[in-house]
Amino acid sequence: MSEFHDDYPSYETMYNHDDAYGKKARRTLWNVFWIMLAITIFELIIGFMAPSHGWSGTWWLKTLFIGLTIAKAAFIVIWFMHLGHEVKFFKYVILVPYITFMLYGIFIILTEGSYAGESGRFTKVDPILVEQQKALRAGHGHGAAHDAGHDTKDSGHDEHKDGGHH
Amino acid sequence: MAHTAEIDTKDAWGGGKSPFAVSYGKMFMWFFLISDALTFGGLLMSYGFIRHKYADVWPKAENVFTHFPFVEQHLPLAYVGLMTFILIMSSVTMVLAVEAGKRMDRRGVTVWMLWTIVGGLAFVLSQAWEWYHFIGGTEEGWVRSVWDQGANNGAGGYVNKVWHGANMAVNEYGVPQFANYFFFITGFHGTHVFSGVVINFIIFLNVLKGTYEKRGHYEMIEKVGLYWHFVDLVWVFVFTFFYLL
Repeated sequence: MSEFHDDYPSYETMYNHDDAYGKKARRTLWNVFWIMLAITIFELIIGFMAPSHGWSGTWWLKTLFIGLTIAKAAFIVIWFMHLGHEVKFFKYVILVPYITFMLYGIFIILTEGSYAGESGRFTKVDPILVEQQKALRAGHGHGAAHDAGHDTKDSGHDEHKDGGHH
Repeated sequence: MAHTAEIDTKDAWGGGKSPFAVSYGKMFMWFFLISDALTFGGLLMSYGFIRHKYADVWPKAENVFTHFPFVEQHLPLAYVGLMTFILIMSSVTMVLAVEAGKRMDRRGVTVWMLWTIVGGLAFVLSQAWEWYHFIGGTEEGWVRSVWDQGANNGAGGYVNKVWHGANMAVNEYGVPQFANYFFFITGFHGTHVFSGVVINFIIFLNVLKGTYEKRGHYEMIEKVGLYWHFVDLVWVFVFTFFYLL
């Protein structure tokens, strides 16, 4: 077979590099790491602050978190998995089918799944669960656990409830 | 980028060489990762659908994951933050092992592979700890209506009683589907991490034996590295959809 492939390039070694390039590459990789760490710490701080500031479940918080997640994913794929260094054809072969499938899936879930949000119509939920989330979202900790069995005991806190707006 | 592979587009498709300028092994690792990513994507979409369906009664992560080892305080999200840090860190040590391999630096590959394995094990054990607390539950628990065969003179029926922790049918945190998806998605991811640690360990032994030194290249490190980074990539999404949102 070798007569066909005498000039067959060695793809296994074509990305090898020398010490000088390695030094530069390592610096880039550590920078990527610090950026990703900063994003994660930022997300945790925002996530920690959200309940007391009433940010939980707001559209902008969801958008922010999903946006930062996609940014981190891009960092991993481009720098850690070296997809940024591959030839253009290969990038497309990997990314285009996947992104197409995911966009299709999200489209289907948002259109065909829209009935799921009409709670009560297709979903029967144990009233105890509703009580529990109401109590927790009104700021009751585990101390309220045993009260949750008594119906509507916490109705005085209804002005705080944010259940339903999601 | 000095390192982008150069390929002459005029004869790229003429045969005899890969138009993608990647070896067979690396290309199929990518194809495998795409199929695996579709599985995870499907799982997370299904999770999003069910969560939307039960939006009013879906528990909030900050009310569920509040423990931290050796600390008695209520610390929501701190532990999962640590887990995320461990996994990103092990991703960095992995990519440094790949970089060392490209310089044929056997010592560098050995050291960084070892750190990656340590990080992976730390993550798996952290997850075991989290599962243990999730299944065991809180001391206070919460009232649930559960089936009792002894009720109604032996006819059986649902009775209200305080329930601790979680299983596939009942959990103290909220709707049963919450625990189902937690077990399935973090379990599926944890299985990936565990098999990643095993694969990394086998490759680490090969590095010690000098298999890749003899072969003349360390591309195998890059291939297992792709898998390991993928595991990190999935966790970034699981972290967002389970714990942050």
